[in-house]
Amino acid sequence: MKVRYSYLSQQFAECDDLWLQLKEFVKTGDFTLGAPLVEFETKFADLIGTKYAIGVNSGTDAIKLALVAAGIKAGDEVITAANTFVATVGAIAELGAIPKFIDCNDTFCMDIDLLERAITDRTRAIVPVHFTGYMTDMRKLMPIAERHSLPVVEDACQSILGEIDGRKAGTWGVSGAFSLHPLKNLNVWSDGGLIVTNDHKIAEELRLLRNHGLVNRDEVKILGYNSRLDTFQAVVGNWLIPQTLDIASKRIVNAARYDTGLGAISGVKIPPRPDGFKIVYHLYMVFAKERDALLSFCQSRGIEAKVHYPVPIYRQEALKKFGSHERFPVTDRHAESVISFPCDQHLSNDEIDFVISTVAEFYSGIQ
Amino acid sequence: MTDLKIPYVNLSAQWQSEKKELLPIIESVIASGTYVGGEVVDEFETAVAAYLQSPFCVAVNSCTDALVLGLAALGVRRGDEVITPPNSFIASTAAIVHLGATPVFVDVLPSQSLDPALVERAITGKTKAIMPVHLGGRMVDMDQICEIAKANNIAVIEDAAQSIGSTFNGIKSGTFGEVGCFSAHPLKNLNAIGDGGFVCFKSQELAEVVRKRRSHGLIDRNTVEMFGYVSRLDAIQAAVLTFRLTRLEATIKSRRTNADLYRSLLNPDFVFIPDDDPREQNSYHTFVVQVDRRDELIAHLTSCGIGTAIHYPIPIHLQPASKFLGFGEGSFPVTENQSKRILTLPINQHLTEHEIQIVSQTVNSFYER
Repeated sequence: MKVRYSYLSQQFAECDDLWLQLKEFVKTGDFTLGAPLVEFETKFADLIGTKYAIGVNSGTDAIKLALVAAGIKAGDEVITAANTFVATVGAIAELGAIPKFIDCNDTFCMDIDLLERAITDRTRAIVPVHFTGYMTDMRKLMPIAERHSLPVVEDACQSILGEIDGRKAGTWGVSGAFSLHPLKNLNVWSDGGLIVTNDHKIAEELRLLRNHGLVNRDEVKILGYNSRLDTFQAVVGNWLIPQTLDIASKRIVNAARYDTGLGAISGVKIPPRPDGFKIVYHLYMVFAKERDALLSFCQSRGIEAKVHYPVPIYRQEALKKFGSHERFPVTDRHAESVISFPCDQHLSNDEIDFVISTVAEFYSGIQ
Repeated sequence: MTDLKIPYVNLSAQWQSEKKELLPIIESVIASGTYVGGEVVDEFETAVAAYLQSPFCVAVNSCTDALVLGLAALGVRRGDEVITPPNSFIASTAAIVHLGATPVFVDVLPSQSLDPALVERAITGKTKAIMPVHLGGRMVDMDQICEIAKANNIAVIEDAAQSIGSTFNGIKSGTFGEVGCFSAHPLKNLNAIGDGGFVCFKSQELAEVVRKRRSHGLIDRNTVEMFGYVSRLDAIQAAVLTFRLTRLEATIKSRRTNADLYRSLLNPDFVFIPDDDPREQNSYHTFVVQVDRRDELIAHLTSCGIGTAIHYPIPIHLQPASKFLGFGEGSFPVTENQSKRILTLPINQHLTEHEIQIVSQTVNSFYER
């Protein structure tokens, strides 16, 4: 049996109705900030439960523009998680701001117990990363941010529809950044992203920032960027958005099956599943002994297991310019022990069971 | 006359003429499941590099990003100066400002092209690059710009957003300087069905830097060599562009024919059309004339069903966003004067000869009556 990681060919195997809609759309020539984009933004805001959603070119740009709208400038310090994908840090660095890292805990999110001591008088924002489909513990984070009057921009790129106590990722901070990259839970056929917010002023600024700062065709109010979600892709988004709740539910069911099966295998440790958290499993990640050997073993059996990520962002070459020698032991431990298995909505129970039995076989062989 | 509609752009007509070929191409990309990067993007880069006769071409998300990434690759940063005209689209200047550098504006010639004599005078010890803008397809005098750049050891980055296929001395726009930046926005001569752009280089080293920076600075899935951006051309857009590249020369030819027709029909007593330089071949992304009573004429043309545009009515140095640069009215008199007189007439490849006759007659009769 082969258990593939990418499910895109299955996801779009039956999309004749979408194809018809796209053909109609292309006829209109309404390619830039067109009507289907406005429709998608409205639907997305409704889905997340915010007043506004603004479509941009990528999750990275969503974080970057949200930080600009939060007033972040060169030299400011921005606190984020040490184990995130490069994009979070890239967005901060692009503005000339300085990333300040905090270690994570076993939910793969920022350990809030370490937050307060990282705040300095140069700190201007906090970017919690809701990594892998988990959420940062926003119940603990928000009071600290408020006490220090720091804006919170949520990196919710991997956690669309994630929740804590019924409150969704992206709705806790001043704004929330989402990705629509082909590998995300809500995915379009290209790069893409969205920012959600309840703040009218911020929404207006974001609309300017993504489109050259143009208030109309001829007048430039602020210097902006070119970062628009293609309207063509918004048509894809409109087709997918009714499916997103089901996608999350199916992933949760798959994860529960993995948890039961893998949890019984010594050698595998399931991360904590805290009360009140709705984890949406963009990635299904566990801790594994002899991880590299397990990874090769799984791959040799046709299972496309992966590692997110073997080299933590804070240890990357690109970070050297910030000259910090700080170490983050939990992040380091994760880099050596995490493994990701396919968990998408198109996965069959047989495939999940095959992964579980393969992992069991691996550990029975090394005992 | 009441039912007449001559739109400024006609993307629907373009789609109708191409959909038989384009639909299967788009469908095959969708079926492949590779939406970001991949062979389709590589193919476009190779095809457009061959068209431009440039050794290296990197596809990105927009020309704005091409300019930012191109300037950054040249090492432009805080405190540096970049020479550019004030009559371009805002993106040229925004790219410079985003890197913390200072745009040094230089006024233009009656043709709207950057004035080389003024470029030379604007060079200081801080000048890091010259950014000529081939506005609307019209080429800046690259003989002079390249000579000045060489004499002063300054890089040239061409804003060729509007000029793909334009040539000067037979050489394609965007390939004179160290960097050439192109747009594939839906309104351009080589257009995607969403945002898109590409950037070409003489040096492999610069091309490689941009190749990394367009995708997070990743050199493989797990290693970040330098901080980058997300600025990738979508695979679907790359496939559309590879197809449309095969039609670009025909598009340019019909736009040039349209321009010739306008020249023969518009009354030169009322309508100023800058001559093309004998060394250039203008691809006519836009056909811009200069007229008195411009706004009245626009109202008249609109009432007759004729779509027009202005590129651009507010010069960059007078935009609210540019306030911090400290310019006022009178700073760049030629640009400011032109901004009140320029008018862009429809010139797209889907216009008929009859439609151009109607536009010309309507313009002429507005002044002659």
